Amino acid sequence: MGLVSWIIIMPFLTMLAVVSVPDRHWRMIRWISAFGTGISLALAVTLTVRFWHAAAGDATTMIAAKATKLYFVERIPWFESLGIQYFVGTDGISVAMVILTSIIIFTGSLASWYVDNRVKEFYALLLLLVTGVFGVFLSFDLFLFFMFYELAVLPMYLLIGIWGTGPKEYSAMKLTLMLLVGSAFVLVGFLAFYHVSGLKTFDLIRLGEIAYADGFQRWMFPMIFVGFGVLGALYPLHTWSPDGHSSAPTAVSMLHAGVLMKLGGYGALRIGIYLLPEGAKWWGIFFMALTTINILYGALGAIRQTDLKYFTAYSSVSHCGFVLFGVATLNMMGFKGAVLQMFSHGIMTGLFFGLIGMVYGRTHTRVIPEMGGLGKVMPWLATTFYIAGLASLGLPGLSGFVAETHVFLGGFFGNDFSSHLLMKTLTIIATMSIVVTAVYVLRGLAQVFQGPITDHHFDELTDATWPERIATGVLVATLLVVGLLPGPFINLIEPSIYPLLNRLHG
Amino acid sequence: MFMCPHFTVIATAFAVLLIDLFLQERQRWLLGTVTAGGLVLAFLAAVMTPIHGGAMFGGRFEANAVTWWFNIIFILAALVTVIISMDMVNGNAKVRVRGMGARGEYFAVMLFTLTGMMYFAAARDLVTFYVSLELATIPMFALASWRREDAKSGEAGLKYVILAMISSSLMLYGLALIYGLSGTSSLTHLALAKQSPLLWFAVALVLAGAGAKFTVAPFHFWAADVYEGAPTPITAYLSVASKCTGLVFMFQFMFVFFSEWLSNMGFLFASIAAITMTIGNTVAIVQTNIKRFMAFSSISQAGYFLMGFLSPQAPAVPALLYYMLIYLVSNMGVFTAIIWYANETGREDIDEYHGLSRTNPLMALMMMVCLFSLAGIPPLSGFVGKFFLFSIASSAGYHWLVAVAAVNSTISLYYYLRVVRQMYIEPVYPDAQFIPVPKKMVWTEGFLFAAVLLLGIVPTLYEHIHADTVGWFAALPK
Repeated sequence: MGLVSWIIIMPFLTMLAVVSVPDRHWRMIRWISAFGTGISLALAVTLTVRFWHAAAGDATTMIAAKATKLYFVERIPWFESLGIQYFVGTDGISVAMVILTSIIIFTGSLASWYVDNRVKEFYALLLLLVTGVFGVFLSFDLFLFFMFYELAVLPMYLLIGIWGTGPKEYSAMKLTLMLLVGSAFVLVGFLAFYHVSGLKTFDLIRLGEIAYADGFQRWMFPMIFVGFGVLGALYPLHTWSPDGHSSAPTAVSMLHAGVLMKLGGYGALRIGIYLLPEGAKWWGIFFMALTTINILYGALGAIRQTDLKYFTAYSSVSHCGFVLFGVATLNMMGFKGAVLQMFSHGIMTGLFFGLIGMVYGRTHTRVIPEMGGLGKVMPWLATTFYIAGLASLGLPGLSGFVAETHVFLGGFFGNDFSSHLLMKTLTIIATMSIVVTAVYVLRGLAQVFQGPITDHHFDELTDATWPERIATGVLVATLLVVGLLPGPFINLIEPSIYPLLNRLHG
Repeated sequence: MFMCPHFTVIATAFAVLLIDLFLQERQRWLLGTVTAGGLVLAFLAAVMTPIHGGAMFGGRFEANAVTWWFNIIFILAALVTVIISMDMVNGNAKVRVRGMGARGEYFAVMLFTLTGMMYFAAARDLVTFYVSLELATIPMFALASWRREDAKSGEAGLKYVILAMISSSLMLYGLALIYGLSGTSSLTHLALAKQSPLLWFAVALVLAGAGAKFTVAPFHFWAADVYEGAPTPITAYLSVASKCTGLVFMFQFMFVFFSEWLSNMGFLFASIAAITMTIGNTVAIVQTNIKRFMAFSSISQAGYFLMGFLSPQAPAVPALLYYMLIYLVSNMGVFTAIIWYANETGREDIDEYHGLSRTNPLMALMMMVCLFSLAGIPPLSGFVGKFFLFSIASSAGYHWLVAVAAVNSTISLYYYLRVVRQMYIEPVYPDAQFIPVPKKMVWTEGFLFAAVLLLGIVPTLYEHIHADTVGWFAALPK
């Protein structure tokens, strides 16, 4: 079993370890899962380093390549007579996503340190979910991909339903059903590729060798893009996101907003653009317009929120809009921006939701107007919160700036398939959201952390504990590293984007 | 030779009837055990028979790889039913079902239906076809109304008699017409019949009979009431074995006889599939009784099965058989939990399952997994099976039907999650404590649960079915 398989199976093994702990030792569980996800993180770092060495020589040859080059491929025939195989591997985009996922789950399991209700089930479901996420990012057989994709969605129902707050059952059901309807359309697409290509295989790379008829591509592309877009909070199908995130427990919000929503953008890029370039050209400008609404709508929605989680959830809708916007620009800058934004938003929003959970665990309120002056009693949390906020409004030096700049430049440069004027206009409109973001982030944070302490109970609150400091510290460090030294990171993903681009240009 | 399993089942049925005569009331628990033992023998016999059998009685019956697999499915369904019936029939349940006497007959009658089903799968002649179908159906009426003191059970039996008889007489009319038009009673030669409007009419009548058996809309109305009123193990048996009879029926007609025409009629069948699954799923949402709920769930499953008939190509056969097997273990898994819970507490409403995950985490988990498998959630076997069926529809170009079916799966998840929500999210009963689980229940459930997991991950069994049956179409007489 190779490194890639180990990455997929590690959370599952951790889950088995968690399940086998007797009930009376439930405190052990968090140590086990912190340890297990720590190993996942270490494996992900190893993968990055090894990928770096393996791919370093190929950067120039990829410029003209039309097929994605995979590394560390493992293939095992599965349902052999139907051409279904266990086919995993990685390219630059996958590596970036794997690193993101492993950081989020590691910090997420630290951030759940103080969960005390049905701990075993909580961690088991969380780890099962992450197995699915790793699987999606690393599998290149559509059957396997779909299997992991749904595996990543379903545990969410129980996680929100059992450990959530507020109207949790409603939110959990809404989230699960909307996401699965999205995946239903994706499934139609996958089966159609299998039969229409005539290859009787789900191997993504081999399916990519076929040029599908224009008519087929034009009706299939919106199915795939919207199907994945539901998970990427595409307007107007984003409505599960604010409810779901605000009801979910801390680690689940982190994982969901941080990683799971990225599956949408990832799938649109990996499968939508890769297999359906003609469809993408046909629909590109339409989806660009739709995602522009996404970006602005999310940002404007966030202004009006008084609950910290709703506030962040709307901001996530806006930021995930950037990802899909980047995908819809159909050029190098945009694609790079989309991947960067997936990574950057994942870390940033993970930090946001983690911090909200920590603050809520102390104040027992998430209502912004009820809080004030918390910076005095919890300086660590306040500082990291500000860093997350500044990353979200695109302050240079943090990763959000790098990502958003790429996305906007991508939109502004235009592409060869749609009107430049229209694209420029849309980009300018989307850029306005930066201002709106600054308004809501700064206003919200100022209310919570600055000014006089509004409630005398707040005086007795404590600052972050060690598990919390490690969790937030790791996330802030990642934001800074990518923000200050984006070069290596961009070099990592760039070669893997050329094939997508080359397919668009015929 | 290939009738060995059939004869074993018949012998067991008579043995049970006979032994019953000589037993005292307190010794009658033995009957269930004898039945189960006979079925295990029949199962072994079925496994041992050569997979590519041959014709018998001058071509009135024929065994081949497909009937081999159907025998396995039928016997397995009956075996599980017998095991999960035992507590109830023997009066060991904490909450007794009144009026469940006559154990010898209960098991014997069930074995007769099983015999009918197995012969039905092998029938290749209009007469044997019809007679074995009736043998599979008529004893079922008695089983459905077995709870003598329960009005609902009587209602179930009566409804079942009337509707099944109507559909069966329509079918008989159709068969007679077909015989008249083709001049042969051999099923494989029916296709020689000259195409004429009358033949279409006859085929429509026959297919209505198949539809009623298979609970396909608009012939599904009997299912909910019968499923609710029948003793729960019989409901399980009806929803699996009787449905499988419907599947055999479709195999006989759609593939053996009708395959040439299917390409013209595809749209009709696709529409019926879409309507069936949509009706089943949407009506299931509002059910409160878990047996009615499972009835509508099984109606919607019939819609998924129909997708497998849209393309008369080699891969359709293993896909349908594999999904039948998966449906058997998933559905039986859910029913085992339902019966156990009803036996111990007498509760049969969905709302009464709340807190089960706290008192009996293992049973709740296994039931949940089986429900998810019915909903088609990966990596469980239900997903894999549905995926293969969807793939058949997609290969015939029915992408819209795949979309309808996939959305329907999501709808079905909504109501399956209602049960999960009761078990996992809603609070426990105030005085709730661990509900004891009889050994045979936990082992049966565990076996089914393991099958639900493994059939989705381990491809071996599918590959076997595929290898055995992939040549089936080619071997059909043209």
